[in-house]
Amino acid sequence: MTKKFTGALAALMMSVAAVPAVAEDVTITVWAGGSNDSDAYRIDAIAMAADMLEREAAIRGEDLNITVEGKRDFGGWEEFKQGVTLAAEAGTAPNIVVTSHLDIAPWSQAGYIVPVEDYLDFDAWPLNDIYPNLLEIAAYNDVQWGLPQDAESRPFFFWKDTMRAIGYSDEEIAALPGRVASGDYTLQNVLEDGKKAVDMGIVEKGYGFYPRPSNGPDWGQFYQSFGGVLQDPETGKLVLDKAAMQAFYQFFADAVEAGLTRKNHIGTDWGQWYSEVANGKAALWHGGTWHYGRYTKKEGNQDFFGTIEFSLIPAGGENGRPNTITHPLVYLVTDQANDDHEEIAAQLIKIASEPRLNSLHAIKSAHLGISAQQSNIELYADDRWASEATERLLGEANAQPNHLSYGVFSEAMWSGLEATWTGVKSAEDAVAELEAELTAKLGDELIIR
Amino acid sequence: MNRRTALGFGFLAPALLVVILFFLAPVVLTVFFAFTNMSTSTGIRGGEYLLNQSILRSIPEDAISTETRNTLENAGYQVNDQGLAKLAETVSPATADELRSLHGGARFDSRRDMERALKDLRENRIRSTRDRKAAADLFNTSILNTRYNTEDAFRAALAGTNVPVGDHDALTSFAYTGWSWTTENMKLLFSLDSSYRYAANTALYVALTLAFNVGFGLFLAISTFYLPPVLASTFRTIWFLPRILPPVLYVLMWKWFTWDTGFLATMTGYLGIAPRNWMLDTATNAWVFVVLINGCVGASLGMILFSSAIKAIPTSMLYASEVDGASRWQQVRYIILPQLRWPILFTTSYQTLSLLTSFEYILLSTEGGPGRATEVWALAAYHTALSNYGGNLQYGLGAAYALILVVIGIIASLLYLRFFNFKELVSKPRIEQ
Repeated sequence: MTKKFTGALAALMMSVAAVPAVAEDVTITVWAGGSNDSDAYRIDAIAMAADMLEREAAIRGEDLNITVEGKRDFGGWEEFKQGVTLAAEAGTAPNIVVTSHLDIAPWSQAGYIVPVEDYLDFDAWPLNDIYPNLLEIAAYNDVQWGLPQDAESRPFFFWKDTMRAIGYSDEEIAALPGRVASGDYTLQNVLEDGKKAVDMGIVEKGYGFYPRPSNGPDWGQFYQSFGGVLQDPETGKLVLDKAAMQAFYQFFADAVEAGLTRKNHIGTDWGQWYSEVANGKAALWHGGTWHYGRYTKKEGNQDFFGTIEFSLIPAGGENGRPNTITHPLVYLVTDQANDDHEEIAAQLIKIASEPRLNSLHAIKSAHLGISAQQSNIELYADDRWASEATERLLGEANAQPNHLSYGVFSEAMWSGLEATWTGVKSAEDAVAELEAELTAKLGDELIIR
Repeated sequence: MNRRTALGFGFLAPALLVVILFFLAPVVLTVFFAFTNMSTSTGIRGGEYLLNQSILRSIPEDAISTETRNTLENAGYQVNDQGLAKLAETVSPATADELRSLHGGARFDSRRDMERALKDLRENRIRSTRDRKAAADLFNTSILNTRYNTEDAFRAALAGTNVPVGDHDALTSFAYTGWSWTTENMKLLFSLDSSYRYAANTALYVALTLAFNVGFGLFLAISTFYLPPVLASTFRTIWFLPRILPPVLYVLMWKWFTWDTGFLATMTGYLGIAPRNWMLDTATNAWVFVVLINGCVGASLGMILFSSAIKAIPTSMLYASEVDGASRWQQVRYIILPQLRWPILFTTSYQTLSLLTSFEYILLSTEGGPGRATEVWALAAYHTALSNYGGNLQYGLGAAYALILVVIGIIASLLYLRFFNFKELVSKPRIEQ
């Protein structure tokens, strides 16, 4: 008999037998990866939810006492992921983890996490209000493994003063997001405008286009800009579109060649990077919606909307499309010896997804909301950034695929980009090596076009 | 065993324990992991049996019949007599009767639709989500997305479906979620171009850093030997700083030194050179700094060892040589260096082996960049086994990288022992024979 089935049967029998309520003390641990002070509500919302769940239990006549223990001081994503997997192997996994949706594929396969759909009714509030495309990102093999914890997307930014200085009028700047969305303003225009800004001496050499300085989900966007597809919707296999990949690599090589982007840009310190882009040292760049919080608070840009315009990532050319990737973090419930604790954890993340609770996180950390009703929560609705970014970006956003081998794919794609960018290889050679490596490592799981 | 040997073993015990725990066990585990396909998704402890769409898709076309695929994919939920009987037993006969009258014989694709059907119950509502889910499970005729603890349980579940018996064995082998033995890791390693580049990088890294370590360590030891004692120990202390500083802090200082807004760029800026990131500007720059960063740490160890070895040289030999009119260079060449043979052997062999496996300073400084130009073998092992943003860490392949290092390490140690004539070095001094 299966684990799930016996567990479910036991629960059914227990509730039918109406076991008298006994005082229950439960400790729920929450580990949140990639979280700093402004992301405190990833854990605090669970504590607030615990209070609510305790009150609900009290009304039913049960004495439930939940202690929430949170941890978010990990050295980085690597340490967090190693920590979670090793704890799961040792049977001491935290009850709830907040992590990248990309972890769903390997962790579900390994049996570290349990589907939240085993415990939650998705036809009931607040889950029936969560955007279906976000729920989809937290699902794998048609099973709902987790709940989206927040949403974001990765826009392209323009520094308005620099754009004015190279000849754009205010109206033309305001029209840029529309031009990008329609495919009229492309990455070729980015090269031209960035070069102009450098040649005219408005920004320093290497600051015409100032990309993210490290690996991350952003790079898939540029591959998509040139018409690349990450996953084949029919077969679920990963896709290497050689022409798109080469054009994407070549774009960065061209940007370096033209002096827009520094050859040794990769590895630039994030602190330096944020401070530079938030204060106009770069003409064009790309980042994430949560950057709004960083620019306006820590970096002291008091007039975000007066100084910065934002749009989708422009298309690479005629064959490509403007796009943006959303990379939501998700709440996952881990496999525990005691099914009741899984149930409590699932209830907690459900309550923490209430629009009002989620809005606290969304606004404090400059992320986007997860459910439609958040636009009726004043805290969320009155925030200009949240509403404009949601409207301009989230409709066009897609996510990276939940696939066991996507990690290998994305790491190899990054290696190739790095090699082209730094001039170690030509774009053509880098793609050839990428093809060889992915063919060897992924085999049948890859479609090459 | 007499008391003397027992005492000997007693004293040796802590060292043996350490060797077993920190050398032998990791080596054995590396060998073991290297021949598995272990990754995050397979887990470490072993697996269960699971079929889902991804697994079905990964099964080659000819391994199972199309009929099997269709049967598995289209099973869904069915309100049949079997399920209704179970419902009558676990909940109540009335509930089962009401469901039969509402949805008897119905088929649902998804669990959610089945749950919705259960919500249609009016007289016998199921009032808890968890109970409703358990009830829905009674009608599940699909084995997709259900984990089975044992092979027997999985085969029993398969037997309950309409999947042809001929496909059961193939399905069972693909359904296993745990790791299995394989030699693919080694084949993959030798087939990748990147492996050869990482190997070349490692050779370059070890050769250059070792030469710097030993050469500079010797230079420091000999030059401080001829300084007045106070001044000498001051210099030695300063040169020892890289080793005692926490690596993160030490590398951070190098980064501040080489950033395009750092000290070096500012100073060269006065000479009219455009600011640049001196560490990551080109592959050559990166190599220079990788060698310097590692070299300064290694050189300090060499310096201490060589200094104490020089001090052990009987001063009478040096005095005698001065009486004979030997120059400083001649003293170094004919007295000091020959007597440093053993410490040089030790430093060289110890540092070759430790450099082969060390990557922490490279990880912190260049992270293998620019463009993987400074990615050494040990760093590649780390990246493969322990660092993957996409989530699926490849323990098996990473261990295969590490295993190659273990093999090279052992061969290198044997060669060193032979080359430096170890036996002669540890033989008793002639005077005692």
